[in-house]
Amino acid sequence: MHEKSLVQSLLTQVEQLRVQNDATSVHRVTVEIGPLSGVEPDLVQSAFNELAPEQFDAPLVLDIRLIRMQIRCRSCRHVAAVEGITLKCPECGSSKVQIIRGDEFRLIDVSMQVPV
Amino acid sequence: MNTATKVITVDRDVLSDRKQRAAELRRTFAQRGTLVVNLVSSPGAGKTSLLEATAKHWNGARSMAVLVGDLATERDAERLRPFVPVQQLTTGGACHLELSLVEKGLALLPDDDFEFLFIENIGNLVCPASHDLAEHLRVAVLSTTEGDDKPGKYPKMFRTSDALVISKTDLLPHVPFSVAAAVKDARLIQPCLQAFEVCALTGDGVDAWCGYLEAFRSERLQTFAETEATQ
Ligand SMILES: Nc1nc2c(ncn2[C@@H]2O[C@H](COP(=O)(O)OP(=O)(O)OP(=O)(O)O)[C@@H](O)[C@H]2O)c(=O)[nH]1
Ligand SMILES: [Mg+2]
Ligand SMILES: [Zn+2]
Repeated sequence: MHEKSLVQSLLTQVEQLRVQNDATSVHRVTVEIGPLSGVEPDLVQSAFNELAPEQFDAPLVLDIRLIRMQIRCRSCRHVAAVEGITLKCPECGSSKVQIIRGDEFRLIDVSMQVPV
Repeated sequence: MNTATKVITVDRDVLSDRKQRAAELRRTFAQRGTLVVNLVSSPGAGKTSLLEATAKHWNGARSMAVLVGDLATERDAERLRPFVPVQQLTTGGACHLELSLVEKGLALLPDDDFEFLFIENIGNLVCPASHDLAEHLRVAVLSTTEGDDKPGKYPKMFRTSDALVISKTDLLPHVPFSVAAAVKDARLIQPCLQAFEVCALTGDGVDAWCGYLEAFRSERLQTFAETEATQ
């Protein structure tokens, strides 16, 4: 269970963005979790529910997007979105593929209240 | 004060700062000539035994040090201390090592010019896969008593590993484990995976394993010193 440590890093980054933008509050944090991220979405959500109120006053919503894996074949250069953790080129069958998306826990965007 | 809602686009790996720090440290190690090996496995697969066998095999001919992760005890460090410099990294219950802990451990080692630095991770096939410890090689240890289906069940760990050590090969006559099936399963996930069969008790296969480490250090380590090293 390393999700708490990851969510702590996430919240630190959100706080830095809040300060950089002079925001009065933060509403929503959108993240992306891939099937090969090594991160469990439910555990991220519960760690967030526990840690976010300790650092932010206004209620903060976590929006988790579960994405599909995207691979590029090293043999035929084909790019494809694949189901689950398939690591095989759907075009030529090679398993020498590069993961383009789906092996990370990414911070996508943050919605905040800023002065105008 | 008038305010408005603004959406700030980031689109960045949550771990990117840590990964960058790891890449810098990896380059520093390479410039110093130290090959860093991160050993991962499930609990009891034989990581400490492999390190004992490695230290005995080299018998001082190669300089090595060990950072060993443990939830709470000093037991693995005590086993290795008769052979090599070793520093315990106590995680206080956490299921994986993080770079910050490794950096603290490094500062406590007597020297910083070892040819090989081994990091024995916490026994866990899930969480350590996501944490870059500035290693040049990640090695998964899989024992013959765990079953040959593990690579497919823990894909991230095997996907991110460079080598697979199949341990406790003396038990092969007694357990339903196919080395070929385990290696095949792992290579579906990581086609470039190097595989070794080792028995730490008898020392069988230890010379091939040590030979791999020596060759990697002399032939490949320099490339990490020159380029921006990323995994
Ligand atoms: N039969 C046999 N037993 C082994 C071998 N290598 C290790 N063992 C035994 O397996 C058990 C676990 O070995 P360790 O080296 O402590 O394993 P580990 O991966 O360091 O364990 P943790 O650090 O607790 O995760 C010990 O009882 C060892 O004696 C081997 O080659 N053959
Ligand atoms: Mg051990
Ligand atoms: Zn292809």
